[in-house]
Amino acid sequence: MKRLLLQLFVISSFLLLATGAFGGSRPRYGGTVRILLHDRVLSIDPLGDEDRPAARDRMAALAFENLTEVDAQGHLRPGLALSWHADAAKRAWQFRLRLANFHDGTVLTAADVAASLAKSNPAWKYSAPDRQTVSIETSSPVQQLPQLPELLALPRYAIVKRQADGNNAAILIGTGSYRLTQWQAGEHAQFTANEDYWGGRPFADSIEFQMGASLRDQLMDRQLGSCAATELSVDQIRNVEQNNQTVMLSRPADLLALVFLQPDSGVRPGRKPVDARIRQALGLAINRAAISNVIFQRRAMPASGLLPQWLTGYEFMFGGATNIDRAKELRADAAAFVVISPIVLAYDFADPLARLAAERIAVDAREAGIVVQPYAESHIYSKASRASINADALLLRVPLHSLEPSVALVARADDLGLSQENIPAILGATRPEDLLEMERKLLENNRVLPVAHVPQVLWLNSMAHNWQQLLNGEWNLDQLWVEGAR
Amino acid sequence: MLKTAYKRWLCAFLFFFMAAAVAIPQDAPSLPPAATEFVQMILSRSGSPSAVAVTFQNLSSLSSEAQEAIQNAIFNGFRSANIRVVKPEQAVADVHITFSEDWRGYVWIASIQQGSSSQTVIKKLPRQQPVQSAHSTTLTIRKIPVWQQDAPILDFYQDNQNLVVLEPGQLSLYSLDSGQWRPRQTLGIPHQNPWPRDMRGRLEVRGGEINVFLPGARCSGKLSPPSLDCRASDDPWAIGERLVAFFSPRRNFFNGLLAGSSAGASVAPFFFGATWQSGDQRVWLFSGTDGHTRLFQNDLGTPVATFNGWGSTLAPVHSICGSGWQVLTSSPADTSRPDSVQAIEISGREALPVSAPVDFSGTVEALWTAGNYGQVVNGVLHSQSGKYEAFTLTVICNQ
Repeated sequence: MKRLLLQLFVISSFLLLATGAFGGSRPRYGGTVRILLHDRVLSIDPLGDEDRPAARDRMAALAFENLTEVDAQGHLRPGLALSWHADAAKRAWQFRLRLANFHDGTVLTAADVAASLAKSNPAWKYSAPDRQTVSIETSSPVQQLPQLPELLALPRYAIVKRQADGNNAAILIGTGSYRLTQWQAGEHAQFTANEDYWGGRPFADSIEFQMGASLRDQLMDRQLGSCAATELSVDQIRNVEQNNQTVMLSRPADLLALVFLQPDSGVRPGRKPVDARIRQALGLAINRAAISNVIFQRRAMPASGLLPQWLTGYEFMFGGATNIDRAKELRADAAAFVVISPIVLAYDFADPLARLAAERIAVDAREAGIVVQPYAESHIYSKASRASINADALLLRVPLHSLEPSVALVARADDLGLSQENIPAILGATRPEDLLEMERKLLENNRVLPVAHVPQVLWLNSMAHNWQQLLNGEWNLDQLWVEGAR
Repeated sequence: MLKTAYKRWLCAFLFFFMAAAVAIPQDAPSLPPAATEFVQMILSRSGSPSAVAVTFQNLSSLSSEAQEAIQNAIFNGFRSANIRVVKPEQAVADVHITFSEDWRGYVWIASIQQGSSSQTVIKKLPRQQPVQSAHSTTLTIRKIPVWQQDAPILDFYQDNQNLVVLEPGQLSLYSLDSGQWRPRQTLGIPHQNPWPRDMRGRLEVRGGEINVFLPGARCSGKLSPPSLDCRASDDPWAIGERLVAFFSPRRNFFNGLLAGSSAGASVAPFFFGATWQSGDQRVWLFSGTDGHTRLFQNDLGTPVATFNGWGSTLAPVHSICGSGWQVLTSSPADTSRPDSVQAIEISGREALPVSAPVDFSGTVEALWTAGNYGQVVNGVLHSQSGKYEAFTLTVICNQ
């Protein structure tokens, strides 16, 4: 019996060894990584008013670096800054830079960093006490910035050297592990390994992005195995999983939210502000559980706050339950004072799930006596375009930019076009309960109605290794390598 | 022969016993004391009402037993502060406590209602790490943690008094003091060019002499008084007993050109290599950068066998089990999955697994055979928590 068990163990262990398609955990150098992106990105400028900022940030992260970065475990790590410290009031910070070169061969200096950050946030004061040290101070003597290092890890604070070419167009130069070598706006981008990168040459020779691939094309390409990774939507997971393919699912991090456009901007003639009671009534009418379970196939979580429960632990305190009776009461109250017009709701034309969610919201609203008219719009993410959209509200899907709740809340408020007046208080919050109150404040006028927290989905070729998808869905391709290359 | 083996075994046992004694303790937070602190926070915010009604809700992964223990600690906390816990109709304040959690740990939230005013108190606590488990089978691999730190570890050396940790930019020396490793000195490793990604390094300490091999650099020095002198160098690395090879200075592998007693011979580029004497045969094993592990016997001309599906990290270990030599090898996983280490024995041209895989919560970055007659393998783990851990492995025969 003992002998039989031993034989079985040896056989099973040997099978375990033999089944690995390709051995080795150590990264290999070489090869080209091809990635299919759903969206079309027109500019890689981290500060540009891009219509597809999330996709832009994914590519830009290869070429541009920040002073700090967040690793896969959510820990803050040195980026271009080796170390940092603040004064006792957390108002003035100093960052010590590492030795690094821009892609044009010039050395990164404190002056470069100060110039780049001044573009990202003109409100702060910058100085360069020496070539390797950057000082940052808040403009107000009372404003604290305890989370500044976390904030500086956001894509908009990437360090970029801007130069003008002969035609006065901006040339953007970074320090990242890859440099941009080919760019066809909205079509194709190629990034080539930076041989002199301070952190060592990256493993892959190049990374190519094919933009605007249709879902059908993506499926075809996956079957051909020519790409390393491709973005998927939640409704495609089942197809891929049935074929034993690798699917990476982030935490439900993106926020799908209905955002009422600011009525007082005066750029949308003929549109009246949606009454506050109607906004509240619509919030109570939306069946968030149905949207998460049916449209997002149980992969999403109903949202009642701006930040997900898994990030803060306190989202449940915002309620979010459907209450049609109360919604009807509020609608009746409003009807006694104002004429209730249909709410025109614009959703992203390139996102089929957004259409389904918008239609479901319209159905829910009808139960409370509110008319919602969804329509597809092509540019709902660009802030400039938003101002001219002839709609009352937008259905937006915005990414979670940080795993640090205060920084995530600031970035989310910015993405959703919420008032900036609370930002200093959010960044100055030192206790979680203060942040909870700030989030409550951002939600109290019902200008944003959270609908669902949605995960990001990625199909990954088994030949691609060390692809890190952070909890919030961001990609870290720093250690990426592919098999079959030398 | 038996006597020699017994001595070696005793030596290894004593060594591991000592190493275990200085292993780092796991700091697991205790929840009931945290509950007492939480009550203090509630009272300082609410102005210590004379009587409170307390209700609970659990939205976290806390077990019912743990929840009960915390609830009791909270009740005790109120009583110790001379606050009466009463029914809602008799209470001055209602305290509703929710045990929630975020991705980092537990989040306890108290909503305090006093008349028309309400306040919220939040306490965050780290979640306890799951304990690692090892399988037990015919031959057991025993892992002993030695040291843990945030900065990358490339290799390390330890004896009864010294722990030397090789990092990309420095060599850190520690001394044993009351069962704890205390920092003694740090010796810098200057270098001109950026280190390659997936940085590797080898530390060799013999008779107080230090030798450090790094990509494109070589350092030498002494343990006492501590000194280290580094220079740019393409010198071959001493991988182990009778195995010396040239390392590619801007990559993460050996280029296949061997030196030392095998000078002039070359094999396919490899990540790790091992050699040992088995009876009258010399055996070499190389984990190639192409994913194949090649076995050579007696000469390095042509491999006698090629194995697929092995991890890239391997090291030989001398034991009193089986043929006396096993190879510890990592699993063919990348950093997206936890790693494991398994013992393999070479029998003729075959490789036979002789232990169950030992699971690691991270990636095994290096395995180097250490001193003590090759009975110990020093390993480096890049754990899923982001920390680097130095550990030793040995094999124990099961009866």
